[in-house]
Amino acid sequence: MTLVKVAPPIEQDVDLTQTYDAVIVGSGAAGGMAAHVLTSRGMKVLMLEAGKKLDINQELRSMQWPYDHPRRGDAPPGSHHLSFNEYTIRKPPYAKGAAFKHVYSYVGGWGGSDYVKNILVDEKDHPYTGSNYAWVRARCLGGKTNIWGRLALRLSDYDFKAKTHDGYGEDWPIAYADLEPYYDKVDLYLGISGVKENLPHLPDSQFQRPSKLNWGEVKLRESLKKAGQVLTPYRAGVTTDGLKHNKYRSKCYGRGACDRRPGGCDIHAVFDSPTGLIYPAMDTGHLTVRPNSTAHEVLVDKNTGRARGVAFLDSVTRKSYEAKGKVVILAASTLESARLLLLSRSPQHPNGLGNSSGHVGHNFCEHVMGPGVTGLIKELVGKPHTLDDGRPGGFYIPRFRNLKDRQPGFIRGYGYEGNSGHSMFPAHVMDTPGFGGQFKRSVRDHSGAFISMGAFGEVLPRYESYVDLDPETKDAWGIPVLRFHYHFSDNERKMAEDMVATGREMLEAAGIEVVGTDDKVLTEGWSIHELGTARMGNDPKTSVLNQFQQSHDVRNLFVVDGSSHVSASCQNPTWTIMALAWRSCDHLADEFRKGNV
Amino acid sequence: MTDAPKHPESLSRRDMIAATAAALVTPLLQGGAVSLQPVAGVPGKFLTAAEYALLDELTELIIPADDHSPGARAAAVAAYIDGRLAESLEPDWQAKWRSGLQAVDGLSRELNAKPFLEATPDQRVAVLTRMAAGEADPKTAPERFFGELKGWTARGYYTSKIGIHLDQEYKGNVYQRGEFAGYDAK
Repeated sequence: MTLVKVAPPIEQDVDLTQTYDAVIVGSGAAGGMAAHVLTSRGMKVLMLEAGKKLDINQELRSMQWPYDHPRRGDAPPGSHHLSFNEYTIRKPPYAKGAAFKHVYSYVGGWGGSDYVKNILVDEKDHPYTGSNYAWVRARCLGGKTNIWGRLALRLSDYDFKAKTHDGYGEDWPIAYADLEPYYDKVDLYLGISGVKENLPHLPDSQFQRPSKLNWGEVKLRESLKKAGQVLTPYRAGVTTDGLKHNKYRSKCYGRGACDRRPGGCDIHAVFDSPTGLIYPAMDTGHLTVRPNSTAHEVLVDKNTGRARGVAFLDSVTRKSYEAKGKVVILAASTLESARLLLLSRSPQHPNGLGNSSGHVGHNFCEHVMGPGVTGLIKELVGKPHTLDDGRPGGFYIPRFRNLKDRQPGFIRGYGYEGNSGHSMFPAHVMDTPGFGGQFKRSVRDHSGAFISMGAFGEVLPRYESYVDLDPETKDAWGIPVLRFHYHFSDNERKMAEDMVATGREMLEAAGIEVVGTDDKVLTEGWSIHELGTARMGNDPKTSVLNQFQQSHDVRNLFVVDGSSHVSASCQNPTWTIMALAWRSCDHLADEFRKGNV
Repeated sequence: MTDAPKHPESLSRRDMIAATAAALVTPLLQGGAVSLQPVAGVPGKFLTAAEYALLDELTELIIPADDHSPGARAAAVAAYIDGRLAESLEPDWQAKWRSGLQAVDGLSRELNAKPFLEATPDQRVAVLTRMAAGEADPKTAPERFFGELKGWTARGYYTSKIGIHLDQEYKGNVYQRGEFAGYDAK
């Protein structure tokens, strides 16, 4: 077995006297991709990351058994994670007045909170205000890619040309054909696992070895196939065959840790930005990374109105610094990039940088989730337990609504993520009534016999769904925080009802007894797929960026994260974020060479 | 569903128990790390000796040893819960356990005219049966405590070596080489 154990590159001294070709804010999927593309084109790049550079393998400890951990994976006493009730009954800032030493988002409540306690932000230091929103943030090198859910899907022209299809919102300024070559590049550079299904609404990737399905999942797949529907193995942003060009990542050995914990892989078979993008970019000699750098303003030249760099605080010492760049690239996440633009007010840009349209922070969208179904596969009750969870994910049922049909209650669609089979902890234990020998036997006999799936649906972008700066509340660094003005609408609620009803029909048609349905829509933000706050478009009056994620107002300013997305699709965004960033940075490098930026 | 694959049953249940049990439980027992006797007279880190003995007995009643696998006592579930209580910074949670255990004794006095640990095995089961009766919609103090007790017992047991390997016969958290488990989608 050849496990990859190559140490990260040595930290460099950061020279803030020089003017870099580009300064990137953020080190997640978008920032990492920008660094990869620009350094491979020979540009000198400085990357600022607000969080620490963690010894990530020590944090994740993927193979540690629960009984080898003093609290069976739980974080130390004094830590608290927010619950659904807290998110709904209370108003942000949720950690205000909390008696706990540390307060984390709901992700800290998943099994294994000790493994993410240094990855997730402490809500006490990072408040926000306004409407209810479950905002999950990770401040460390690589950001949320260290623990992302791995579902790596492409969008199609059903998404890019959604307005043409149903009349709502705006089309993207690009078509699938524009992005397809870049999706291919992302697939081949980072590795993706899946099965070709030839679906126009969910284009195939350049797949490596797919995960296998377990018995219950095959049963559902076969039943759906008869109805002309598709259940496909989880399309995971995971290298299952290995990547010859990357010495920092191992191939997947089906350990299953990424799906058992809040995510993460300490052999980096799962894509994460540091090992997938940043360390190789550092090896070119063109990338300098400065962690602990909390950016709070994009600096603008008084005479030209162009971006000239980024003002930041050292996150630990709180000393002020400036990084100088010929180009500034924001990749701080959908909400943090919008916040930075709004914070960067100047006489030339009184509403915030790149915000002559007034659309920065608006058209905020994401995925609605919560509704789902659980079924019992009677054939598996009492059968010997098999290895079912040694893989990066279960299955995906792609969108099927409003493709050829027109639903009366809602537009757009949703897909289901799900899984079946035996797992380390028998989650059905608390739904098994009673106690004693019969209870114990029932738990044992039913382990692995359930199948569950939950839907992720497209939330429509609306101008009136937005974030702005709170006039009073500041974070632990004294920086004004975001205020949310964001609620689901009837379209999402109607869609959520359909998610439950249709999920039930699917299981029943497969001869699987439905034993549980969840019709509860989780708090806004729960999907961690926030998008749209600086959307692309051809019209500078109604959009913030052009098709290359370049500011309409400021030619040397780019925003390459999810904020640029024009609509949310129902497909998970990470792979699209990276394909777009690759395309835009390719364009940027061309123009930079010609002196046009 | 004729085209669904057959469930693999090549490896018998007995083979698996023998293999896993030999690997795990023998060193556990030989090392003296686990006592199968009820704890008595020994205080926990948080609980008093009496409370600790009561909790130990309750956990074993909820998940008892059977012919398949050892129970909560062998898995040291009471020690796990006591340890969590001892290091907790939440006095409300600690108080909930203290009063919950008192409520169990209170119910036993009401039903059996003696404290729980002095009652006969059948009488103890009767107390737990009463506590569990309101599981779906708990109303009394003992009924409310039952959910807490069962939840932490399950958590302690099914995250233990015995729970994961002997009872659940979990096969994962391993490096798979060559053939991966499961069925191809096609």
